[in-house]
Amino acid sequence: MVRIGMASCGIASGAVPVYEELRSILAGESSVEVKRVGCVGLCFREPLVEVDMDGVRTIYGDVTPEFAAQIARSLLKGELPESHIVYSDKAEAPENAVLDGQMRVVLKNSGIIDPEDMGDYVARGGYKAAKRAISEMQPEKIIETIEESGLRGRGGGGFPTGRKWRACREAEGDIKYVIANGDEGDPGAFMDRSLMEGDPHSVVEGMIIGAYAVGAGRGFIYVRNEYPLAVKRLSKAIEDARRAGFLGRRIFGSGFSFDIEICRGGGAFVCGESSALMRSIEGLPGVPRVKYIHATEKGLWDSPTVLNNVETWANVPTIIEKGPEWFRSIGTEGSPGTKVFSLVGKVKKSGLIEVPMGMTLKSVIFSLGGGILKDRTFKAVQTGGPSGGCLPASLLDLPVDFDTLSSAGSMMGSGGMIVMDERTCMVDVARYFIDFLSDESCGKCVPCREGLRAIQKVLHDLTGGRGRKGDDELLKDMAERLAETALCGLGKTAANPVLSTLRYFPEEYAEHEDGYCRAGVCRGLFVASIDEGLCVGCGSCKALCPAGAISGRQKEVHRIKASACIGCGSCLDACPVGAISAARRDAP
Amino acid sequence: MTSRATEAPETEEILRRYPPDPRHLLSILLDIQAEHRYLPRETLKTVSDYLRVPEAQVYAMATFYKVLSLKPKGRSSIKVCMGTACHLRGNVEVLRALGEHLGISPGETTSDRAFTLEVVYCLGCCSLAPAMMIDEAVYGRLTPKKAISIVEELQGKVMAK
Amino acid sequence: MIELSIDGKRVMAEEGATVLEAARAAGIGIPTLCYHPGLPPDGNCRLCLVEIERKGKRELVISCMYGAREGLVVHTRSSRIWKARSFVLKMLLERTPDDPLLKRMASHYGVAFEERFHVESDPCIRCGLCVRACEENGTEAIGFAKRGWEREVSAPFEEPPRDCTGCKACAVVCPTGCIDVEEEGDVRRIWGKDFRLVRCALCGERFATEEELAHMGLEGDEAKYCQRCRKMLFSARFLVGL
Repeated sequence: MVRIGMASCGIASGAVPVYEELRSILAGESSVEVKRVGCVGLCFREPLVEVDMDGVRTIYGDVTPEFAAQIARSLLKGELPESHIVYSDKAEAPENAVLDGQMRVVLKNSGIIDPEDMGDYVARGGYKAAKRAISEMQPEKIIETIEESGLRGRGGGGFPTGRKWRACREAEGDIKYVIANGDEGDPGAFMDRSLMEGDPHSVVEGMIIGAYAVGAGRGFIYVRNEYPLAVKRLSKAIEDARRAGFLGRRIFGSGFSFDIEICRGGGAFVCGESSALMRSIEGLPGVPRVKYIHATEKGLWDSPTVLNNVETWANVPTIIEKGPEWFRSIGTEGSPGTKVFSLVGKVKKSGLIEVPMGMTLKSVIFSLGGGILKDRTFKAVQTGGPSGGCLPASLLDLPVDFDTLSSAGSMMGSGGMIVMDERTCMVDVARYFIDFLSDESCGKCVPCREGLRAIQKVLHDLTGGRGRKGDDELLKDMAERLAETALCGLGKTAANPVLSTLRYFPEEYAEHEDGYCRAGVCRGLFVASIDEGLCVGCGSCKALCPAGAISGRQKEVHRIKASACIGCGSCLDACPVGAISAARRDAP
Repeated sequence: MTSRATEAPETEEILRRYPPDPRHLLSILLDIQAEHRYLPRETLKTVSDYLRVPEAQVYAMATFYKVLSLKPKGRSSIKVCMGTACHLRGNVEVLRALGEHLGISPGETTSDRAFTLEVVYCLGCCSLAPAMMIDEAVYGRLTPKKAISIVEELQGKVMAK
Repeated sequence: MIELSIDGKRVMAEEGATVLEAARAAGIGIPTLCYHPGLPPDGNCRLCLVEIERKGKRELVISCMYGAREGLVVHTRSSRIWKARSFVLKMLLERTPDDPLLKRMASHYGVAFEERFHVESDPCIRCGLCVRACEENGTEAIGFAKRGWEREVSAPFEEPPRDCTGCKACAVVCPTGCIDVEEEGDVRRIWGKDFRLVRCALCGERFATEEELAHMGLEGDEAKYCQRCRKMLFSARFLVGL
């Protein structure tokens, strides 16, 4: 069995020609099956080819079409190539730790099954939980099971799923709905994309069980517009499920009928907010509503609705199958189960990982992530997307779960983890997030519509060298008031990137007020300076300086003329020995 | 451009895919956008009549969702990801370089209507940062030079047509 | 009737009333901008924020949409509320510095205009009362277009709106008076469209546009006489024989 990773990352890395090569050589070979799968989990080594021989897994990374041909020809001889191995079940391999250190529950099928083949899903036990739930369990029992498991919403809110289901079940009304939120708008997060592309049936099955439990006859999966492959795979999954009788009328021969429709987003981050998402399904602009009455009472078309993230739904079949105690045995008391994270940014092994809740930031970043790219210094990790905050090195021992990160001023959110090094400017990070949120604001309420603009102005002043003394106090005040007055989660949590960077990196704000960017990011707010003790005279910096400000001969120490330096930062990254840093413009 | 786009067949065909329920408004608009690369005025009137929703609502939808546009977009859409990972790994420079190469700013379309340059926040390929999406193809691990050569190759193909 | 406490006072309210309605009925002042008693509330200006006590903590909620209930404890004044309202007013003032109502409210909360945050002046505060009034009349001729800071009240395609009947309810409810209505002779011009005004057959007052009457399906006396004259004519029937 040969598996080739063909989710969006795989395809973008060049998996298609690799697949073509394997297929053409192994075409007639009945003893070898070539299968296209979803995310394998070693994203930073894509394209990946996994060979399953006699129950032993070997994964090859950075596979070129030429090497793929080599793999194919070796297989025809019953052998395996020795090079390019990144993971092996039976031998040492560079990325064993990355896969072995994970606990793939939600992603258990991702990278193993062909996501467009329902047979694969069923062969791995798929739809057994749905059958059991509908044929043998009562809705009340299913809800109890989810409540006992302690499952909490994986989209970021962390609301107890069982409680949500119960509220919907008990709400008045004969027409109820279930919705899967696949809008994943957090920049830097791709957990939901991989799940929808790699194992779409897990979401469908979870929704069937949930719909039966709460009494819903229709379900919707809302997928953001930027994920066309996810839409395609989910559509196929639904069609196949219908044909098999898992969706439609009288499922598993019971009186329960349920079907699912896919709704595409139109390019609006705010549609990830539950009330905005529902408006979007209704054919309206994604403008949130004040929610003093919960969606479980009045949601989609004012009917009782359960909205859960796709990752939450994907957990449901396994909980039904293995029981709530099993789920509780993983993770922490307040946050049982596993969580999928997207570990990206300045980290060596960037990719998707699934681990039990409660693992420390340090373990995730340094053990699984392999540490900082180019062996630079860790500066901060941004968790929770634009609703979250940046946490400094002093907090690396914090466990990642729903509650701990919140008290530190961030939040786990949907699982995005963006690692930053000393070449990241924290004021620029705040500016980036506010720019994003300002662009995505729906514009309904005053604090978000006008307030983000004002906060944006101050941050642009700071990163543009027009900062004023006291801007840090001003920002803190405005951000706090925004959090107090905004109508929906987007506005309320918009304050977090600003407040967390102010809290943990106040010196950078003070420096920017003075017109200095220590990270060498804000153009013009520094001059590049070469540490003569470290310079090896390679000339890389001189070669790309756009201002011609660097002089020096080969193998001799180079020097930067401060008055000519425009502060663009190109040389800081180019130096192979890290000899260049950002100094103040008017340093003595 | 307008007259060709308002010819009944394609719009009729799109409308036929959906029953006249207002909830299909976004899907219909997305399909029209995909077909014509923008939302022609007359077509929106037809949609308003078909679904029996006020013109104000159709206009609100057309101007709220970033995928939809009232002005024609290019045949190819270059979406440069400005997600956090891509931002950190240098996509700002890639965007600048592409803008210079094509002679347009983000949000604009080239005069020959071949390309629209856009910024999107997160394609979900963060391990390949910095990344961009051209139509449905994703390109990762970009540098300004690599991005330009990808576009140049597409331009060559366009010219060849 | 239910009983709640507002600023330490015992207040009686109708079942189903909002905290704002209960407060106003009891003579307790809460500022608003996007609220109108005849239209559904929207909760976008955030000015009517009050604190309620829940599970031992104080929470900020908007009183125009929060339902009053038995035993609810509400505070309409506190430093937290003051800070919240002054932030909202400051943000509004930066975009609409010339409106007398806003200037008065802002000055009451000690808020001043600052050039640093000024982008451009616009009398529209996006309260949406005009849009809701139009919806309420069943015309839905105007609506909100675009999003974010660019969000604005607009006629579709920025052209004279097809469905507008010239009733000018939008202009009447606008708190900053930024919807232009021109009336000359028998013509009313609004949203770039001209409407013919109908004169009352009795007193001659121009009381509605032809399009308005057609939209409401009014005929006979209702289309001939203004509301005052109709009432008078109707009640006159009861005075026969006096």
